[in-house]
Amino acid sequence: MQRPDWAPETIDIERPSVARMYDYYLGGSHNFAADRAAARAMVEAVPEAPLMAQANRAFLRRAVQYLAQAGIRQFLDIGSGIPTVGNVHEIAQRIDPESRVVYVDVDPVAVAHSQEILAGNEHAAVLQEDLRNPEAILAHPEVTRLLDFTRPVAVMVVAVLHFIPDADRPEEILRTLRGALAPGSHLVLSQASEDGRAGTGERAEAERVYRRTDSQLWIRSRAEMTALFDGFELVDPGVVWVPQWRPDSPDQAENAERAVFMGGVGRLGG
Amino acid sequence: MGDDAARSRPGVFARAWAKAVSGTSYLPMTQSQLEEMLQRLTDRLAQALRAEPFDLRIGQQVGAELVQAHIASAEGLGRTVEVIQLRLVRDLDLVVDDVEDRMARLLATVATGYARALRDRTLDEQESIRRAAMMARAQAERALRDSEARFRHQATHDPLTGLPNRTLFTERLTAAITAPGRGADRVGVCFLDLDRFKVVNDSLGHQIGDSLLVTVAQRLHRALGEHLVARLGGDEFVILVERTVGTDDAVKVAEAALAAVREPALVDGHELTVSASIGIVERPVAGTSPMDLMRAADSTLHWAKAAGGARWSLFDADRNRRDLARYALSAAIPAALDRGEFYLDYQPLTSLRDGRVLGMEALVRWRHPELGVLRPDSFIPLAEETGLIVRLGSWVLAEACREAGTWPDAEGDAPFVSVNLAVRQLHRTDLVTEVRGVLGRTGLPPHRLQLEITESTMMSTVVEPVRALRVLGDLGVRVAIDDFGTGYCNLAYLRDLPVDELKVAGEFVTGLRAPGSGTDERILASLVSLAHALDLTVTAEGVETADQADRLRAIGCDAGQGWHFGRPGPAAPHLGRVPAHVDAAS
Repeated sequence: MQRPDWAPETIDIERPSVARMYDYYLGGSHNFAADRAAARAMVEAVPEAPLMAQANRAFLRRAVQYLAQAGIRQFLDIGSGIPTVGNVHEIAQRIDPESRVVYVDVDPVAVAHSQEILAGNEHAAVLQEDLRNPEAILAHPEVTRLLDFTRPVAVMVVAVLHFIPDADRPEEILRTLRGALAPGSHLVLSQASEDGRAGTGERAEAERVYRRTDSQLWIRSRAEMTALFDGFELVDPGVVWVPQWRPDSPDQAENAERAVFMGGVGRLGG
Repeated sequence: MGDDAARSRPGVFARAWAKAVSGTSYLPMTQSQLEEMLQRLTDRLAQALRAEPFDLRIGQQVGAELVQAHIASAEGLGRTVEVIQLRLVRDLDLVVDDVEDRMARLLATVATGYARALRDRTLDEQESIRRAAMMARAQAERALRDSEARFRHQATHDPLTGLPNRTLFTERLTAAITAPGRGADRVGVCFLDLDRFKVVNDSLGHQIGDSLLVTVAQRLHRALGEHLVARLGGDEFVILVERTVGTDDAVKVAEAALAAVREPALVDGHELTVSASIGIVERPVAGTSPMDLMRAADSTLHWAKAAGGARWSLFDADRNRRDLARYALSAAIPAALDRGEFYLDYQPLTSLRDGRVLGMEALVRWRHPELGVLRPDSFIPLAEETGLIVRLGSWVLAEACREAGTWPDAEGDAPFVSVNLAVRQLHRTDLVTEVRGVLGRTGLPPHRLQLEITESTMMSTVVEPVRALRVLGDLGVRVAIDDFGTGYCNLAYLRDLPVDELKVAGEFVTGLRAPGSGTDERILASLVSLAHALDLTVTAEGVETADQADRLRAIGCDAGQGWHFGRPGPAAPHLGRVPAHVDAAS
């Protein structure tokens, strides 16, 4: 019989997953041999890969802390990956246990793992969806159950946009998400960038590594990333190398460009 | 002593330690939180160095706590060992006996605790990711199975009634016929169709129609639960009766189905009473195929319909063969027209007064390449059913007019040609145009064309065709009512119709044969005087003997048609005939 279109993909752990590679960069063991092999190849090409994962995770932590202190109690984390240490709900619910968090990832293993971690947490949920289907995400029952879009929501698109090619119109995706948000909502963005790093050959090598996964790498400049905040007011200091975004201490921001990732936070005015 | 230590502020050693490990792995905390934690561990280390006797557990706990706090990399351990060895005693200004010995043992316990915790954590994480992969795979497979089951159900069931659809029915029927070991079995198929379902749809709307179908489906399913009931589409259902012993088994199922349908149904406040027709086929499995069975059941259903519905019919092989032959014949008409296999015979309408041939009725013949010459009764009814009569009738009209145009008319008294017109031809909007066109092309004067319409056609005819006949009548074309007296003719209506002639059916003439059959004669006499009162001429059909002709003449009948005056055949011999019969009598 012909396989129906709506049949899900089966799980292939022989194929590297970006979510599990990221976990490996962070020093975790939530990964399989194929993920580790791909991640090691990435470290060969871009020795800072583990550092950039750590720096990006630290950026996420500071961004969530900033948002929670600014009164945000609802978070929609798209591309959440393997929810290991320092995840959004841990940070947000430490500040307010009533904080609501919905994780979205396209990787079914990451989603299954998140389900296990979130079991019993009635203010957090996870669903499997692609960032490229923002309408499906916004209409998902878990999203509508947990999040109240008449009040501010923080949408996190952290370390995922570099897997979305321009052809998939990331600006359209973000516009759709923005359209659902109430004034006072925020957008947190970070992705691999190359300002000041051009010509090292690393980019080509990194892109080659990611071709083995389901996800290709699309590196964007600071100007391109700033443009993606269209409709939002950038919070100080704007789009910067992630270690430079409101660091805990000034020395953490040294050699920030080695972190490869740029990021920023925007606020929806009105 | 431990309590005092726990409250102490991060000292120079803890800060140095924090600096050493930061960057070795992702730490989910701020620098000051890290320093506070490490200060706590520093106090524990100091306690371990001084404790007497030496306690292995303290160092191991410190190592494990570092891992739990996510200082969990090889570098994290290396730098920790380094900073403790170099700075702990000095920064805390500790005074300890056998300090080198105790420091070595302390570092060993920290490394042990650290390695053990890291190994446990790795194993836990590996187990957890494997479990997640298994769960994801199970979910994916369940979703796939569900979607396949859903897809399979959708593909094999009717969305409106939830009954199996044609696909599933055909599968099951095929299995019933071809499954191994079934060779000796018999199988039955009941093809069911609601009677006049279209009326429900048209008068009450499709929604009510659909609800009625759902009700019927539920009842059939309930009444015949053990047999497969499927909906083929529209108001067509089919029942598979497996492992029958004989025809009776299938008939019982059909009767149960008819009873289930017959009960009045309350649909959206309307009490609907519907009936159904069923075609039954029941036969041995050997030698049949699903397609044969379905086709046979379908044509049997039409017999039940044709017999008035609300009944079942049983398949009859002979009747089916005849039907098939008839359909084959009807299907061959268009090609036969193209090949010129039709031709016309003529039978004269003879004046009873002077024996002149007044007109000639055109009668169509089919010179069939295999079956020989066929008379109209073997193909006209079929042509009427299928609508092919329109094309055939047009050909007859044109051909009759063409031939009549060639008949010699030196004295302006050539006979008219009388052409039969079917209901469907009469109902065509372009009838007048067609007749005008034919007359124009053939040059036949309108008064030399007579159109014969049967009494029943005339009576069932609505306004529009009557108007067409009137236009043709005004043009000069003659209109005759054929087979008069066999149907129910409203005499008052006759007055208003554009009619020139009545052709009295042969049945009345047959009655004239025996002397003293006074009733038929009196009926005929009154018919003739009635017709004359309405200014109509009368032609008697089926005149076979001279005696009949004499009596008809005595009654006042105008013309006669029948073997006595001439059999159907080519026109020429009739045209040349001398009016001989009448001379003797008059």
